[in-house]
Amino acid sequence: MLSRRTFLKGISMTGAAVQVGLPPLAAMFNSTGTAYAADVAGKVAGIDKRFLIWWNGNGIPERYWIPRETGENFELTACLSPLGRVRDYVHVLSGVDNVAARLNGQGNGHFSALCGLMTGTAYTGRGAAGASIDQILAAKIGTKTRFRSLQIGVAQESHGENVHRNMTWAGYERALPQEHIPQNLFDRLFGVKDEGWVNRKKSVLDLVSADVNRLQPMFGAADKQRLDQHLTSVRDLERAIASLPPDYGKNIKEPEDITDLTDYPKIAKIQSDLLIHAFASGQTRVASYMLTKCQSLTRFPWLGHSDNRHHDYTHTNAGTPEQQRIMRDICRWHVEEYAYLLEGMKAIPEGEGNLLDNTATVFVHEHAEADPHKCNGLAMLLAGGGIRGNTHTKTHNGIGDVYLTIAEELLKTSLGKDFPTAEEKMPELV
Amino acid sequence: MTFRIAGLSLASILVLVIASTPRAQSAAPDPAFFQSQVFPVFEAAKCSGCHSASGVASGTHLYFPEKDATPAQIRAFGLSLSGLVDRADPSRSLLLTKPTNIVRHTGGVRIKPGSPEEQLVARWAASLASASDATLSAAMKALREDEGEAAPKQLVRRLTHAQYDNTVRDLLNDYSRPAQRFPREDYVDGFKNQLTAQDMPPLLVETYSTAAERLALNAFRVGDINGLIPCKPASAGDAKCRDAFVRKFGQRAFRRPLREDEVKRYAAVFSEQARAARRFNDGARVVVEAMLQSPNFLFHVEAGPDGKSTDFDIASRLSYLLWNTMPDDALFASAEKGDLRSADGRERAAKRMLENAPRARQALDEFFEEWLRFDRVINAVKARHRFPEFEPELAAAMAEETRSLLHHLVWNDRNFMEALTADYSFLTSELAALYDVPAPDGQFEMVKFPAGSKRAGLLGQGTFLASTAGPTDTSPTARGIFVRERLLCQHVPPPPPGVITTLPDPLVDQAPKGRRQLMNEHVENPACASCHRLMDPIGFGFEHFDAVGKWREKEMIPVPRPAGAGGGGGGRGGPPPVPVEIDAQGEIAGLPNSAFSGAQQLGAILAESPVCQECIVRQMFRYSYGRLETAADEGTIDDLYARFKGSGFRFKTLLIALAQSPEFLRQWNTSRRSTDAQ
Repeated sequence: MLSRRTFLKGISMTGAAVQVGLPPLAAMFNSTGTAYAADVAGKVAGIDKRFLIWWNGNGIPERYWIPRETGENFELTACLSPLGRVRDYVHVLSGVDNVAARLNGQGNGHFSALCGLMTGTAYTGRGAAGASIDQILAAKIGTKTRFRSLQIGVAQESHGENVHRNMTWAGYERALPQEHIPQNLFDRLFGVKDEGWVNRKKSVLDLVSADVNRLQPMFGAADKQRLDQHLTSVRDLERAIASLPPDYGKNIKEPEDITDLTDYPKIAKIQSDLLIHAFASGQTRVASYMLTKCQSLTRFPWLGHSDNRHHDYTHTNAGTPEQQRIMRDICRWHVEEYAYLLEGMKAIPEGEGNLLDNTATVFVHEHAEADPHKCNGLAMLLAGGGIRGNTHTKTHNGIGDVYLTIAEELLKTSLGKDFPTAEEKMPELV
Repeated sequence: MTFRIAGLSLASILVLVIASTPRAQSAAPDPAFFQSQVFPVFEAAKCSGCHSASGVASGTHLYFPEKDATPAQIRAFGLSLSGLVDRADPSRSLLLTKPTNIVRHTGGVRIKPGSPEEQLVARWAASLASASDATLSAAMKALREDEGEAAPKQLVRRLTHAQYDNTVRDLLNDYSRPAQRFPREDYVDGFKNQLTAQDMPPLLVETYSTAAERLALNAFRVGDINGLIPCKPASAGDAKCRDAFVRKFGQRAFRRPLREDEVKRYAAVFSEQARAARRFNDGARVVVEAMLQSPNFLFHVEAGPDGKSTDFDIASRLSYLLWNTMPDDALFASAEKGDLRSADGRERAAKRMLENAPRARQALDEFFEEWLRFDRVINAVKARHRFPEFEPELAAAMAEETRSLLHHLVWNDRNFMEALTADYSFLTSELAALYDVPAPDGQFEMVKFPAGSKRAGLLGQGTFLASTAGPTDTSPTARGIFVRERLLCQHVPPPPPGVITTLPDPLVDQAPKGRRQLMNEHVENPACASCHRLMDPIGFGFEHFDAVGKWREKEMIPVPRPAGAGGGGGGRGGPPPVPVEIDAQGEIAGLPNSAFSGAQQLGAILAESPVCQECIVRQMFRYSYGRLETAADEGTIDDLYARFKGSGFRFKTLLIALAQSPEFLRQWNTSRRSTDAQ
């Protein structure tokens, strides 16, 4: 059996040269495939199901994206072509409604779509009006892991530094920022720590908690709430520190600093690798992954499309064949990075199957056809965790129904009306 | 024509009501009827989208209640509408004729004439017309009391990232600017420092923790080179020196003296670490690490144990307002001596602080950057084949140009409204080439515009012109929104859900069309017009400035290559673009006498406009206090504006007035009573 040290070295190598395949991790698991996860979580509890939601900015060129045929024998379209090696896991779902995007909120079509898809609420002008699906689920299934949830970001270009560059929400107008820098994410998950560090950190956080408690009675209700959030976050950090494995990360080399912070294909793969290992090592069960921002303004030099920014492409002569082909290339790249993640998860054995078997993923864009900001008839990808694969389904159900099905049928936790637009389950998905 | 009704501000209604002759008692209007029947009509008509304190129709002084208004506030509001009622002939009341557009309404028809909704409003107008003055003045009184209730609920702010970097620099002599790697702050309500957005999510708290660890390690890496320890420790366990350090560093980190229980707790952890490592400095290090994560450091809560504002509280507020960092030793000393208790003392301190140019400039840098959204020009991307000169360096120079102009006005005590009219700027040779004016000898030196130049002030600068345009085309809408939101403090409502915002192809009817012609859709389609009429005509006035801010006589419309030849627009190697005449007549709907063409004329109009002048005060208020103003702040804003105006718009006077306003002295736990009672 490999030591964790070897395991972590593997990751740092990946950080430096991500195209090299990940080290096989089978050796780190016991005969039932549960050992490593159990080690970190502190108890043997079988294999837990995970949830991931993956975001891509703007909309899609429907003609290059949505398969013509439904059922099992659909042909992978140009945009979906990178999914060949994992198609058995992938359920293409088209026609999904985002009813909350039509609530009369404050934002333009993009932010309304984001808030509707992630939270089932309207954009207030300062953020979403409720918690996002990942946070709702994290409150149910994320309480025993080292991190309640992870927020991972890649491309950063948005319309200035606006609040809608966030994807997930802890609650009403409470944005959760993402970790965009791979090295920081690595530090959080696998940084080198010794016993002295752990002890000092605990003492420090005790002092901080005492200071927070001392201030509480002096605050008004609204300010008290802010302090409560501070305390909750301090407790989360204490838990992350307390659940470090005993031989945690000795002499581990960190991944090299990314010099080009716009090399998104590279960053996306490192972030995916780190996420895969965060899931595999039981550090979290819930994550969000924002490849490109809502109303993304990213440019794509690696695709040869750097004249314009993503959002500009979607609204400049968008109907012409040339522009449709540009959007095809962009959306295929989104799928390519997602396929990289799925393949990485599939390569990690777990129990009788692999990590992907135990991770339900949802891949969404804020709009269907991009130019008209279309919010009904969305096309999305579901994969892993027991989702019926190799299928294309056309539906009229809403996004809340998709979450309801995943939560109750796959993650085995109740969702009920916790997500505002959830109404009925969709048995065809599982 | 403008919809401006004199005497609709609450104070003047009161005067009006009291001054008019007593009338006989008649059927009293039923406020409950207004709340349940009439108010929903206005809600459905979305009046509040424009008619709010920060709406595009703020000039009308008709402010609809906030979204979370209490029933009492809605009822009182209903009664306050009596100012829009014609008592002689209720059917001619503006309350009816405006929303039905019988009298021209910038917002168009919001309530259909002859509809049941109109009937409800008419009933309300009639009952208001017949109401006695006693009834109305009682209602006004209730409304004024409600104003007091509108005080902000949240007051405790945390350090902004810039404040964090400045503070650790001054506290630890650490210049590493750790907050540059923190999760970014987002713009909410126009700024990045608004307390509604100052949440403490786990990632941020973890980041604070990591940063504190690194800062504390660096502080003692090669001994105590920064002199943080005020004594020579006799041993690792020297308790006297330990306590002296905890007190001294703690006072600077928490910006107030420590309480005894705090000294004890920090000293205990100090000893634990110093003992384990057998090194005094390791104890000091853990104290630094912990204090940098304490809410006493991260939040602005420099108050004493009883929550009362103390001298240190005032010192800290002055310091973050005027320097954007922690107090220096002199300011701490003034606090200790009680010098800051009097208004005079505070003014003296403020004046001394404003003389420290680097620090005072650093504080205003952040305000300027956020107020005028430098992030948008710095992150702007332009089509390379059209604008090869638009490199990141040029974008950064544009922001620096704007910053230089504003600093010039502030620190040389010039009229700040000159920001909109200045016939000079601070340029690099690249910017001078773009603007087609003589190049300066050095970087960002003052260049006087030659006669005939069309530029003036902010509105002739790249910061405004380039950040409000797309990669190839201008956006009159975005330019209009900028003027409305940033310079007039008027919030433009968003487009309705599901609307298609794409413009038609410029060549759709054979004859090439200019930007303005394409955008006529916005004015012809009534669904778009009610809002776009407020934005686009402002932007049209700038159509002679292209997407990077260069002057153009005519608009060049690119012609696509013929079908089959490949390529859409763009014009690389295709047919030459077609020139189209530009009509640069613009206007600001709702602002009297605001027809203009170009940056010079609009700048002059805005510089003279009280709405714009007062907006600068509002923006500074929002930035300084980290929140939007409420109805309860209007008096403070009025006073600040009066002093700003009285000084001939000297920005330093505004800063000193801010430091003397009641809001500045507000105790942060005053929100306790009202919110706890809920």
